[in-house]
Amino acid sequence: MPGDVLWLVIALPAAGSLLCLALPSARAILAATAAGVPAIATASGAVVWQVFAQGPLMTTGRWLHLDALSAYHLAVMMLIFALSSVFARVYFGAEPVPLSRRRARRFGALWYGALAAMALVVLSNNLGIMWVGVEATTLLTAFLICLHVSPVSLEATWKYLIVCSVGVAFAFMGTLLMGSAAAACSLGGTQFLNWTYVHDIAPRLDPKVVKLAFIFLLVGYGTKAGLAPLHSWLPDAHSQAPAPVSALFSGFLLNTALYCIMRFIPIVEMATGNAGWSRGLLVFFGLFSILLAAAFILAQHDLKRLLAYHSVEHLGIIAVGLGLGPLGSFAALFHTLNHSVCKALGFFSAGRVGQIYGTHDMRRITGALKAHALWGAGLFGSILALIGLAPFAIFLSEFLIVKAAAETRAYGTLVIFLAGAGVVFIGALRHAIDMAWGTPAAAPAPRRTSVLEGALVVAPLALLLVLGLWMPRPFQDMLSSAARILGGAAQ
Amino acid sequence: MHGMTDGIMAALLVLNLALLGTSRLAFCITLVAAQGVLTGLLPLVSSSGVTLRTLFLAAAVIALKGVVFPRLLSNAIRGADVRREVEPYVGWGLSLLLGLGLLGISFWLGAKLPLPAAAPEAALVVPGAICTILIGLLVIVSRKKAVTQVAGYLVLENGIAAFGLAVVPDVPLLIELGILLDVFVAVFVMAIMIYRISQEFDHIDADRLSALKG
Amino acid sequence: MRIESAVHFAAALVLAPLLLGIINRTKALAAGRAGQPLLQPYFDIIKLLRKGAVYSRTTTWVFRLGPAAGLAAVTLALAFVPFGGAPALLAFSGDFLLVVYLLAAARFATVVAALDTGSSFEGMGASREVQFSALAEPALLLGIIAVARAAPGAASLSACLGAVDGRAWAASGPALALAAAAWLIVFLAENARIPVDDPATHLELTMIHEVMVLDHGGPDLAYILYGAALKMWVLGALLAAVLVPVRTGAWAVDCAAAAAGMILLAVLVGAIESSMARLRLVRVPQLLIAASALSVLALILLMR
Repeated sequence: MPGDVLWLVIALPAAGSLLCLALPSARAILAATAAGVPAIATASGAVVWQVFAQGPLMTTGRWLHLDALSAYHLAVMMLIFALSSVFARVYFGAEPVPLSRRRARRFGALWYGALAAMALVVLSNNLGIMWVGVEATTLLTAFLICLHVSPVSLEATWKYLIVCSVGVAFAFMGTLLMGSAAAACSLGGTQFLNWTYVHDIAPRLDPKVVKLAFIFLLVGYGTKAGLAPLHSWLPDAHSQAPAPVSALFSGFLLNTALYCIMRFIPIVEMATGNAGWSRGLLVFFGLFSILLAAAFILAQHDLKRLLAYHSVEHLGIIAVGLGLGPLGSFAALFHTLNHSVCKALGFFSAGRVGQIYGTHDMRRITGALKAHALWGAGLFGSILALIGLAPFAIFLSEFLIVKAAAETRAYGTLVIFLAGAGVVFIGALRHAIDMAWGTPAAAPAPRRTSVLEGALVVAPLALLLVLGLWMPRPFQDMLSSAARILGGAAQ
Repeated sequence: MHGMTDGIMAALLVLNLALLGTSRLAFCITLVAAQGVLTGLLPLVSSSGVTLRTLFLAAAVIALKGVVFPRLLSNAIRGADVRREVEPYVGWGLSLLLGLGLLGISFWLGAKLPLPAAAPEAALVVPGAICTILIGLLVIVSRKKAVTQVAGYLVLENGIAAFGLAVVPDVPLLIELGILLDVFVAVFVMAIMIYRISQEFDHIDADRLSALKG
Repeated sequence: MRIESAVHFAAALVLAPLLLGIINRTKALAAGRAGQPLLQPYFDIIKLLRKGAVYSRTTTWVFRLGPAAGLAAVTLALAFVPFGGAPALLAFSGDFLLVVYLLAAARFATVVAALDTGSSFEGMGASREVQFSALAEPALLLGIIAVARAAPGAASLSACLGAVDGRAWAASGPALALAAAAWLIVFLAENARIPVDDPATHLELTMIHEVMVLDHGGPDLAYILYGAALKMWVLGALLAAVLVPVRTGAWAVDCAAAAAGMILLAVLVGAIESSMARLRLVRVPQLLIAASALSVLALILLMR
């Protein structure tokens, strides 16, 4: 059965994880990550293509399932992982103290492990296994934050561990409740936790139990996704982790958790009579995240924390989009890709600029464009794209969300969204201009710039620019079919 | 088997209250281990009864929560030379009173929750599990030592395990094992973190990890 | 009223100080000493009764009335306590409230007498006594209500304790065990035993009960000692009734089982006193709240 190829998407990274433990030197491990992850990503791309060309894939035993929604997320995830893996080699190569073999081994093994765990979350058809995958991502990524052991990184790791473990435990309560609702309608068997099965019987589920379950799921996975007010771990972890890890956290770890919430939306909506109950909750949490992030962005001095609060804001924007009907879902999915690519570039640049200046304090980073033309431009460009400047793609997806709000007559949402986005625009632009121009605080030594580094900056910006100006037809079809699943379609 | 389930749940609740009233970390760890063993016994006396599957699960849970976790945690605090939880955010007497309040709330919630009709022998399991979850949360937020917070997390896990047993009696074995593996790795990672924090800071007070703000 | 009830009442009046003797003997044996004679508490009381009392000029009639009033209240409470399944001398619906309040009245008498001396030490002891018993009272009362629920249809102490048999234990064992555990803590606290108070200490700063009676002498002190022994019997009989659910209907068997239960309880208290240290004063309220928590838990287990 062709569907069984899905196991490979999880097995290959797991094998890579073991390989990293066996490799002899730090250089070899970093090379293996930088080459291996893009290779796995390319192979997964073929699987994703298969889904959009010929329909969903399912393994025997119905454990793994790849439909349009999960395929789209898998594609975004693989893209971010591939970019970050290549960047990791550049970043650790430029560190003043090279990575020891032990640290490199830990990095490689956990990096591949995180890839396997996230692939498990996205691919899993079983809601219980999906939860297991999310918890596994928390645990595998914890030691990536404190790769460089220091008091603050330990503090960030501890908060991340406790807050996310406890939060995700609530998601498990929600999964159990959903399972109990499904078990009440099923004739026995062990299928009742399978998404495909629950989806089929969704209209018959007890709406009260489903609502209760969704509240737990939203709080639980929302903690991991960094939705305010459950985001307390997020700025600490993002700012203390090494830049490639921050890029991964912001680029896809948060989306993994949000993806889990997305999986439940159609079920909850069908069970509660399509009254928009779950969507209302999402809009509320999303708007709250946007406003809170805007306030913190205004008063921020740390570059990586600034980017971290941008993640809170953008995850909020995606949540708002999910709450605004079919067009909103389409825009939210589009925004997922835009934000992930843009934020990965943002953290890449922040990491390299931070290495050049020896600090992440934005008051001491001036004249980045002069100090290092490439990464300075990357930083400036990524912040411009992040705040939604036209013609970058984020402008387009935010515009679509505004349009969706207007179409569904959610004018209150519209106003709050625009106000939040406006504050973020002004606040972040001020920081960006101060960092980009001016005289560099310390005259930095001239550095060689490899072609690879150039590609890491140019490729994301080019992608954002192209998608902002022209959306290819196949990509649009991809988004539409994924959005249809959010609207309740079977595939 | 009705009386057995009741007895185990009552013992779980007493252990919860004892955890709220104790300050010695070693005793905390013992209490949580005892609670883990009781949670492990729960599937054996539940509606599905003693089968190969429940026996296997019970053995795994008891081995992990009763033996492995206490070992990991005691090893983690050995280097730190900390024996007591000092000056928690919420004092011992108040903690106990809050625990009683939570107990009442859990029984009220247990009656209110729109759960699918549970088997009569599980009538005490749902409120007991909710109470265990709430008290786990209370311990996590009201105590300062990192190891006590892990104890709270384990209590929370025990509560969720009992809850799961009551609302979804036959979760596929693979998922149960996945969950156990996750909890095991979680405690393992947390124990390593406690060890590292004690090495780096000379204390394991989570409230003094407060350099990162804003 | 049955003849057994009267016999039980008389026996309790006679045998109560013996419990103290057994506790002291157990402690002595555990410490490797021969210890005082079993009947030493009787000798003490008789000796004190033969002495005259000395009254300070600063005290009033309140001070003189205290010991006698306390003894009277406890004796009345004893009349409501059943033994070995047989009903008590007096019983009516809801009498357990009266019993708890009679014990409180006895305490009140002791406390006002202590306050009447105007001594700062006695005031301190009084304050502690009141604080701790305020915390112990809910544990006792809630425990009684829990036991009454476990034996449905019973609203007097005699009826509900009489209904605690093997079947009640089978139906609601955890709740009864929790109530008994709560009562054991109350028993230790109310009778001023370790780990709450140390009856052997003479360091005023740490004493609770003993410090209140420092100014009493002669017959007054005898009344207080005897009243304390009766109070121990009252609370002990409650515990024994729950922990020894032998209700065969044959008077001699039930009675012997209950008596054995009382003796075991005294030995247990002696063992606890030999193996534990006194808690710091700040920890005592916590212990008593824990006892209340156990009672509440017992009640909740029975409520659903």
